[in-house]
Amino acid sequence: MSLDFAGHEFARASLDHCVKCTICETQCPVAAVTPAYPGPKYIGPQAERFRHGLSVDHSLDYCSSCGICTLSCPQGVKIAELNSQARAVMKADHMPLRDQLISRTTVMGMFMTPVAPLANMALGISPLRVIVEKTVGVHRHAPMPHACSQSFMSWWKKRPEKPEGPRGVVVFFHGCAGGYFEVETSKKTIEVLEHLGFKVLVPKQGCCGLAEQSNGLFDRASASVLKLCDDLRAAGKDLTIISSSGSCTGMLKHEAHEIMGVSDERLRDVGTRVRDVMEFLWELHEAGELPEDFPRIDLTVPYHAPCQLKSQGMGMPALDVLGLIPGLTVVESGRACCGIAGTYGLKREKYAVAQAVGKPLFDMVRATNPHLALCDTETCRWQISQSSGVPTVHPISLVHVAYGLSELRQLIPAGA
Amino acid sequence: MRELSTDVVVVGGGATGVGAARDAAMRGYSVVLVERADLGQGTTGRFHGLLHSGGRYVVSDPGSATECAAENAIVGRINADAVERTGGYFVTGPDDDPGFADKFLAGAATAGVPAKEIDVAEALRCEPRLNPGIRRAIEVQDGTVDGWQLVWGVARSAIGHGAKVLTYHRVTDIVVRNGAVEAVVCHDAKTGEDVRIACSFVINAGGPWSAQIARLAGCEDVEVIPGRGIMVAMSHRLVNRVINRCIYPADGDILVPVHTVSIIGTTDVRAEDPDHLEIPRKEVQQMLDAGEVLVPGFRTSRALHAWAGARPLVKDSRVSASDTRHMSRGMSVLDHAERDNLKGLLTITGGKLTTYRLMAEHIIDRMCEQLGDTRPCTTADEPVPGSESGHNYLVTHRLKDREAERAPGSGDVPTDPIICECELMTRSMFLDLFEQQPDAGFDDLRRQLRLGMGPCQGGFCALRATGLACDAGHADATAATNALRRFLTNRWIGLWPILYGDQVRQTALDYWILQGTLDVEHLPETEEVAS
Amino acid sequence: MKTVVIGAGLAGLVAATRLAQEGADVVLATKGLGGLPTSQGTIDVWGYRDGKRVEAPLDAVAAAPAGHPYAAIGVGAVKDGLAWLAEHLPDWLTGDAAANVWLPTAVGALRPTCLCQPGMLAGAGATRVVIVGLARLKDFQAALIAGNLTRTGRVEARAITIDIPARSGEADSSALTYARAADEPGFAAHLAAAIAPSLGSGEAVGLPAILGLHTPGVGRDLADRLGHPVFEIPLPPPSVAGLRLNDALTTLAKAAGVRVILGSPVTGLKAEGDRVRSVTLASAGHDRDLVADVFVLATGGFETGALALDSYGTVTETALGLPVRVPDGDLIGADYWEAQPLFAAGCAVDVSMRVLDAGGAVVHPNLYAIGGVLAGAQRWKEKSGDGIAVGSAMKAVAAIMGGER
Repeated sequence: MSLDFAGHEFARASLDHCVKCTICETQCPVAAVTPAYPGPKYIGPQAERFRHGLSVDHSLDYCSSCGICTLSCPQGVKIAELNSQARAVMKADHMPLRDQLISRTTVMGMFMTPVAPLANMALGISPLRVIVEKTVGVHRHAPMPHACSQSFMSWWKKRPEKPEGPRGVVVFFHGCAGGYFEVETSKKTIEVLEHLGFKVLVPKQGCCGLAEQSNGLFDRASASVLKLCDDLRAAGKDLTIISSSGSCTGMLKHEAHEIMGVSDERLRDVGTRVRDVMEFLWELHEAGELPEDFPRIDLTVPYHAPCQLKSQGMGMPALDVLGLIPGLTVVESGRACCGIAGTYGLKREKYAVAQAVGKPLFDMVRATNPHLALCDTETCRWQISQSSGVPTVHPISLVHVAYGLSELRQLIPAGA
Repeated sequence: MRELSTDVVVVGGGATGVGAARDAAMRGYSVVLVERADLGQGTTGRFHGLLHSGGRYVVSDPGSATECAAENAIVGRINADAVERTGGYFVTGPDDDPGFADKFLAGAATAGVPAKEIDVAEALRCEPRLNPGIRRAIEVQDGTVDGWQLVWGVARSAIGHGAKVLTYHRVTDIVVRNGAVEAVVCHDAKTGEDVRIACSFVINAGGPWSAQIARLAGCEDVEVIPGRGIMVAMSHRLVNRVINRCIYPADGDILVPVHTVSIIGTTDVRAEDPDHLEIPRKEVQQMLDAGEVLVPGFRTSRALHAWAGARPLVKDSRVSASDTRHMSRGMSVLDHAERDNLKGLLTITGGKLTTYRLMAEHIIDRMCEQLGDTRPCTTADEPVPGSESGHNYLVTHRLKDREAERAPGSGDVPTDPIICECELMTRSMFLDLFEQQPDAGFDDLRRQLRLGMGPCQGGFCALRATGLACDAGHADATAATNALRRFLTNRWIGLWPILYGDQVRQTALDYWILQGTLDVEHLPETEEVAS
Repeated sequence: MKTVVIGAGLAGLVAATRLAQEGADVVLATKGLGGLPTSQGTIDVWGYRDGKRVEAPLDAVAAAPAGHPYAAIGVGAVKDGLAWLAEHLPDWLTGDAAANVWLPTAVGALRPTCLCQPGMLAGAGATRVVIVGLARLKDFQAALIAGNLTRTGRVEARAITIDIPARSGEADSSALTYARAADEPGFAAHLAAAIAPSLGSGEAVGLPAILGLHTPGVGRDLADRLGHPVFEIPLPPPSVAGLRLNDALTTLAKAAGVRVILGSPVTGLKAEGDRVRSVTLASAGHDRDLVADVFVLATGGFETGALALDSYGTVTETALGLPVRVPDGDLIGADYWEAQPLFAAGCAVDVSMRVLDAGGAVVHPNLYAIGGVLAGAQRWKEKSGDGIAVGSAMKAVAAIMGGER
């Protein structure tokens, strides 16, 4: 069966730009590690000319949707987007239960939070993970989020309201992971923003739909993203929206439009206002508005720019901002992808591929600093932490330290 | 000189010629078909790929419309693997007369051509690229047909029924004795040998060249006007159904999805010589303007290739010789016994690919009549080799096949590298056909395999094909390099008239690879580089 | 000084790195990867002039006709560029700037270039050669290459084909997959074992350029094992030889402090008076103004879409809308083998590489253009693209930094 969605023609038209130069193939981290995936050029602009409603090609499911192909393409072909759309057609035929479950991030978070210790324990027990693998198809060693006993919103609500700061008002978008699993990152982001003199608003907000989208559930994802836009717009007109959830900002900025064809004024409005927190700090720097009297931090840490951040085409603002801290050496990984690609690396049949994709990164991280690594998105941090054994935090954590809001030893144990 | 003997010689390896050869062979005659180049290299391969529903003619030529509707069903069955049942729309453009659609519907009802008006919204839902400003839409049973696939299928069927097919045999003489045809003399371009084929009947199916052939038998006044039309292939399917303008036939009134491309056609200009058909930039512009009416943004879509074909239109005293569009599109059989007192020669021209089988039936009926036979035509009943299953072509086929080779559980890893990646042609497809047709040039293989017909136009695959030909022992380095040079030279004929936009990027990269990196232009010179 | 370089091909990477080395703050903005991965991985300066072989490329540069990019670049900048490359990429580039070498191509022609990769050098002047094909690598067909090399009359070549998989489970492997395999220890030994039995005395061994992506010396290792000279032949994309240069130069640029913004096209500029104040970067979600003192356009030619010809026959520069110089007369001709005038279209520049308008006046005093976007060359026919890229980058950087001092 075929799916009707407006975005298809947009991405499909972009295949006209493909000159078969193979640059996407040379950069694809999945094709580099397995012959099961014929590569982005084949699956994208090449196969697309042969598609017509029917789902006849299945090797595209090996595409992790990391988006490096689109990013690298010198000609402007929406390769990853074409792949995602073709997958949506494929999944419309036979959607595994697992893909439906792991794409419901909010539900999973809400379910796990009140019972966090129990949930964490359950997910830590190997026999249970074997059962989960066999029944649901989530690999027994795949990184699973560590549920926090307190959700971000319950922390936020219990917090005394801050007065309006001298720098105006911004809106904070926490994302599902930032709401339930990566609560620390959300807290630190808000504390840094408030330290800089902003008043932060946090409207009640739902999921951006990214996981649903990456699993081909476009209808649900489109509804989710528009609902989120309404939530964020409710906080106020024209306010900058700041997020420490790098992948969710990507969904708002371009993916919902380019992959699913969501063409809605609300999305356009939010998409142009949303900033990744490190991007926002770098914009302040460029405008000469960032206080930069940082103390010296003598430390060398690896930094991995996640695919979904790179695909926003803004360079690596975390690297730029942390470069302002004296003594701090941040080593860019220079590796393509950690392998997790949202939920890809969780899947039983993809786990080995994802581990192979990430291996050069894990090696680099361990070799650079075995005690601390930096990365902007949640699932990538889980993947790096789990697979390299190196605790991995959002770069805002070091900014938090640099502004004196926390201490380095909270990130790195003494003596390490 | 080699000597052959047969009942019937068919001159011309287009759809009409192979159709006639098959028909005669199925009626039990011994048949030799001679073609000066490769099968389907003339008009049959140089059209827009439409399998008419008859819709185009319901107002202007109801007789043709009825024929088309009937043959559409037959050809879709007997040449199933060459036909895609795309369906089609006739749409009224924003500035077109909406009244024509009423005439169309009335004409269709009279002619027996299935046609149904549908909501414009429904048409736009099914074809999202269509101009949202269209005012009416009528659904018809247009299909698309690969002329080369069709011709080869029909030729294989003819061969299966005992016919002999000689390609690269140019007719140099038709020997007449005592007012009757006695033999046909050909020159075999591949061996340089002359061949004399003794026969009792000759069918001239030379299309736009049929006047030249008739002249070899001394029949001077056959007037066949080559009506030149250009077509432009766009890089992917902008639409998945045939889209016709619902107006009186005009230039650029049709957009046809064939294989992985969509083809806009066509113009109609009298040409002097069917061997030299230009592709004027002015006409390309006309096609782009016409495409824009059907699909907004057409002009900025990527054009891949253009070509010109010559319709063989018989001069009709009712219209002036320069107005080819309004000449009869129906087939014409010229009986040279009647006209020229020459027995044993019939010329057939006109018509269209959709009715190739019917044309063949008519002319072989006429031949039987003159030979005093009554053998019935059975060509509508039997599918050609490759079409026995009755499954029609789908654009997804090659992708599905390649995926099947990759699929887990298919036994092993794929062992067949993809040589032409744009059109998903594998090494074994290429080598198997080369094995069957060792004399074939790359263009001959291309027509059957689509080698080099996708977006890169040979930039990546031409080198691979050349190397494989050499590696498999079909050619030494000299011959293979000549074949490569000829292939590139020939691709350019259809490329340079449409170079703009994205295809310029591709051409620049192709030049970079072939001349910049490989330095093909400084390979040792060889004496012949014929086109 | 703040600078923005647009484009990450050979010209852009060299200019950005040089600027950073000279102390400038550099942002390198690029829509995608540059052209190096599609290139042959050597540095051509000038190989054919008016269809005739060029033996001394720098002499040809010195004699470049008016209107050719080399006339503005000059021989000094080209020399500097070659020296800079050889110094910074010692693993991957070698050669004598004064003389071209003639290296076998993957169709069996002998092609001129100036600097080449050390692993290719044994192909120059080899007279007895075995071309080794890999059964699973479709872009390198040994019989054709050997046959054509022999036809040049300068080489006696024969072909063998061996079947060594790049990785298990794959019959259609790209050159890159092979190169990654060759980066692993043991691969050279495998190759040597398969090739050695077929070699006769005095034969040089020609292989596709797959002997390691990031590991220099795989070819040397193989040669030592075989006891025969070994040379690599560059392939069409994906070109491992080109990728090596791309990766090495990108690493160099980042190490020099260049900040790379990948994935967003530059779509226009904002000027203050005649100076460019910023260029517009169409990043996801919102446009971003990159403000700087100096801007360097290094977006390439028609192959990248930096220059475009529309369906009405108009040529434009697509990133910044700059004036272009277009040859008179028909831009595209009916003969495939003739130079197409279209490809000589591009931006005209002064001797500082600043873009000129139709009247020959500098358009923006702080805007420079380098590499494939420049007017006046038939880069592929001349085999001149790399020298133009490197030379114009050096010239522009000298003008920028000199102007600053």
